[in-house]
Amino acid sequence: MEERPCAVLLKFPGTNCDGETARALETVGFVTEVVQISELTPEKLVGVRLVVLSGGFSYGDYVMAGRLARLVTEQKVGETLKEFRDNGGYLLGICNGFQILTQLDLLPAGSLVENTSGRFQCQWVTLKNRAPQSPFLSQLPESFEFPIAHAEGRLVTREAGEAAGYVASGAAALTYATDVNGSFEQIAGLQDETGRVFGLMPHPERFLRQEDHYDPDWSSGKDGGETHGSGYYLFRSLYDSVTSTSE
Amino acid sequence: MSETTILDEIAEAPADHFRILKISDLDGDKLLELSRFMHLSLSKEDMLAVQKIYKEWDREPTDVELEVIAQTWSEHCKHRIFGADIDHEVDGEKESVKSLFKTYIFDVSHRIFDSKPGFVLSAFHDNAGFIKLDDEQAICLKAETHNHPSAIEPYAGANTGLGGVIRDILGAGKGAKPIGSLDVFCFGSPDTSMEKIKADDVLHPLGIMRGVVRGVRDYGNRMGIPTISGAIQFDDSYIYNPLVYCGTAGVIPIKDIDKKVEAGMKIIAVGGRTGRDGLHGATFSSAALDTESHESDQQAVQIGNPIEEKKAADFVLAARDKGLIGFITDCGAGGFSSACGEMLEECGGTIHLDNAPLKEQGLVSWEIFISESQERMVLAVAEEHLPALQELADLYETEMTILGEADGSGILKVTHHGETVCQLDCSKLHDAPTRHLKAKWEKKTKPVEAPVLSRPGTTLKEVLGDFAVVSREPIIREYDHEVQGNTILKPLAGASGDAPQDAAVLRINGSDRLMSMSVSILPEWGKTDPYAMGTACVDECMRQLVASGADPDRIAILDNFCVGNPEAEEELGALVETVKGIADAAVAYGAPFVSGKDSFYNYFETEEGPVSIPVTILISGMGIVEEASHVTGSSLRRNDSVLAIIGHTQSKLGGSVFARQAGLTTAEVPSTDLDEAMKMYRQYYKAVQEGLILSAHDVSEGGLAVTLAEAAFSGKAGLEIDLSSLPMDDDASKAAMLFGESPSRLVIEVAPENLEKVAELFEGLPFAGLGRAASGHQNLNVVWGKEILINESIDELKSLWKNGLAQYY
Repeated sequence: MEERPCAVLLKFPGTNCDGETARALETVGFVTEVVQISELTPEKLVGVRLVVLSGGFSYGDYVMAGRLARLVTEQKVGETLKEFRDNGGYLLGICNGFQILTQLDLLPAGSLVENTSGRFQCQWVTLKNRAPQSPFLSQLPESFEFPIAHAEGRLVTREAGEAAGYVASGAAALTYATDVNGSFEQIAGLQDETGRVFGLMPHPERFLRQEDHYDPDWSSGKDGGETHGSGYYLFRSLYDSVTSTSE
Repeated sequence: MSETTILDEIAEAPADHFRILKISDLDGDKLLELSRFMHLSLSKEDMLAVQKIYKEWDREPTDVELEVIAQTWSEHCKHRIFGADIDHEVDGEKESVKSLFKTYIFDVSHRIFDSKPGFVLSAFHDNAGFIKLDDEQAICLKAETHNHPSAIEPYAGANTGLGGVIRDILGAGKGAKPIGSLDVFCFGSPDTSMEKIKADDVLHPLGIMRGVVRGVRDYGNRMGIPTISGAIQFDDSYIYNPLVYCGTAGVIPIKDIDKKVEAGMKIIAVGGRTGRDGLHGATFSSAALDTESHESDQQAVQIGNPIEEKKAADFVLAARDKGLIGFITDCGAGGFSSACGEMLEECGGTIHLDNAPLKEQGLVSWEIFISESQERMVLAVAEEHLPALQELADLYETEMTILGEADGSGILKVTHHGETVCQLDCSKLHDAPTRHLKAKWEKKTKPVEAPVLSRPGTTLKEVLGDFAVVSREPIIREYDHEVQGNTILKPLAGASGDAPQDAAVLRINGSDRLMSMSVSILPEWGKTDPYAMGTACVDECMRQLVASGADPDRIAILDNFCVGNPEAEEELGALVETVKGIADAAVAYGAPFVSGKDSFYNYFETEEGPVSIPVTILISGMGIVEEASHVTGSSLRRNDSVLAIIGHTQSKLGGSVFARQAGLTTAEVPSTDLDEAMKMYRQYYKAVQEGLILSAHDVSEGGLAVTLAEAAFSGKAGLEIDLSSLPMDDDASKAAMLFGESPSRLVIEVAPENLEKVAELFEGLPFAGLGRAASGHQNLNVVWGKEILINESIDELKSLWKNGLAQYY
């Protein structure tokens, strides 16, 4: 029997999407361990193929979102996550996890700041897949829906041109179909140059099954009565990529 | 030099951390003065009873003991009005009620428990009541109010209101996992003019609303608990006393419901530290507000820190799963004194206040013991588990402290700085003096002629645009209602994801069954007919749960009352009538109460005299949905389907949004035919199980016309409706047909080929075809035979409805 790849879900005080994110990872086949930041050591990542930072409010996010999580992570394990990436590891950051990966400089430079609405926004959005080659997005169609739930999801760069550059280079792997929160270039997710680090504000783990969609008839008309939600295919893409590349 | 106070006069041992107070010689007036000075909220009668107890013990109390007794006997903790002897008079008929709680809630529910063995697994004695989900797991629900703090400091008040009820769930059984929250608010109207507010320092309803919503948002979202259900009422009577109800549901393995403290167990505290914030919250909420409260009582409002609570929650759930918990409860009203008092009530034990971690130094004994600082849980654990618990505390970065130990003595002993500051036999404190109250209710309604509708379409727009009906979307979107990934039926859904739903349904990890949650609050009805309000609220809550797919025979409900001045006969009379109403409905529906709470003194001394809220009952409910395929939303799904109505339309217009707008304030409100309603709900459930129902929307605020419009807001189809066969009173007017709010009605959508089968299920019950969904247009067309009543664009109606509140929030 083939060995299932291991994933570590890193949890900070205030991380709160760990349960459903771990469920999503397990559903597609990852052996998933939730690791509390207080117990994180470089050794914890030995043999691990994927590190996931899930949604929530690490340390309350009272300072800039993800800032304290970055400081604590660096203090605990220094450059370990960068080495993990350099050694072929995959990193996924969802919502607060995206904010933290950005803070950790594991993704192209940018900041996730307060939505232009000034509000927390819990709603479903249509997204455009701009990186069909990405190990995270390969099985997703050109356009699909995920839910969002954030107050600080507006991606800004120091110069507006930088964000446009991300679109041109393909770093902006995921964009909103409409202006949802004021993100430059409507960017919803970024990948790094290796393609193995990906962060996004929307929540794929909340759309694993057809019945998670707000419209009970969402899947009618789709081939053979789709039972998976779009989010499933993000995790499935990732699983297939991880298992098809050697460590 | 400050004036000499009564405390200085009677303090025997002026130690710096506690005092012995010589009360044995004081007369009633002096005792009352002492109660007021110490903010004990105890009456003269209560204080005399305390004096008597101490005379029997042949000693004087310490200030800590008096505080503990005040907490124990406070309305907030003891519900003394619900336990009072009441001389009640209805329309001249006299009756006497011995304990509203026992007669109408406890006994009624226990009869229902007995008729449904194995359904209710725990009720009334724990933090929340549990019902059976499946063979492995149980679910619970608890709701509380945080009215006074929210009036004074809306953000912090609502923030800690939700934080507190979440802790109730964490402290239910050996620790339940919070899985969903509800919030229900009553405010003054958002467009209230400043001149209307006749008191200083009263916040404008808009300021209160914004603060309250953000408070709920920031606590719920950070805790990662989806806020899935709610309601808002706007009425002038809530300008001075806004109501803020927060509720949370939880899930627990059945084996972890029973908990017990045993002699030798260690008492530990987990979570936040103790400070001066939140002194006298319990006693503060047992008194009325006035302008002075806004200045002096600010220290009664606590400060929330959801991340502290999140860490404690992670700790508690991990400790429970490892079997490390003997007993657990939360620090709510009364702080350590209530938590430890509850825990050591039978077993007895010692609490060492020196061990309590403090936010600041210099707190005296009573302050530490009754402080309501947030985010604290108290556990009783076997000594051998302490190392494993400490490991978990380190893992989740929460502070754990050993406060004391249980010893089997039956005595609650508290020490501080090497001295005993409190030594009470709690079993002797149960009998707070029974209160004797007078209540009266007189019929307030009279038959009124229904106004003729000249342009029903225009009326529909007015009703749809009323604050009572307009979309709550701007607020709902501020709450993360999908965290945990289990919200299958969301508060806003339908084909465009923004149409209202009757209930919310959660998937439960590890089970094929689901939980439906809904609320009902109809204060307008209670102004003229509190009994009818009671039955209608239970009915609406039931109906919404059933509509969403819940089994009508597996539903449990909660009663949360808010009342103005219980010493005013008329107000207490309205309460008694409401309680009778909910009790009758609970019996008819077999839906027991498993938890409840009451809040009194929601009145305010304005320049023009006291202003009370109307008696307000929130009924919230949880229901078991057998499988995911039963989940039914409230939005139209097809453009080739047919619509039908279940339930009878009465001619009475009272309580409706239409009646309010038309100024018909004394119109009779509809009654609820409880037995017939239950029959319909059971038949509807059969139709759900057979897969015959596409969607269902209950007829509630705004009446049938609003129900139809809301169903069509999914954007799937237009509607062609003919009301000529509507089951109704012979004298029902057009206004009653379109805008009356008779209970027990549901509009259902079914495939044309299934209509006959569904109709058969409802034989002998009020049921009629209403018309069909239309593919050719996007209009709501309603006719009465040949007469066109409504012909409006659904888009236009929807934009009215969607933007009504958006401009204020």
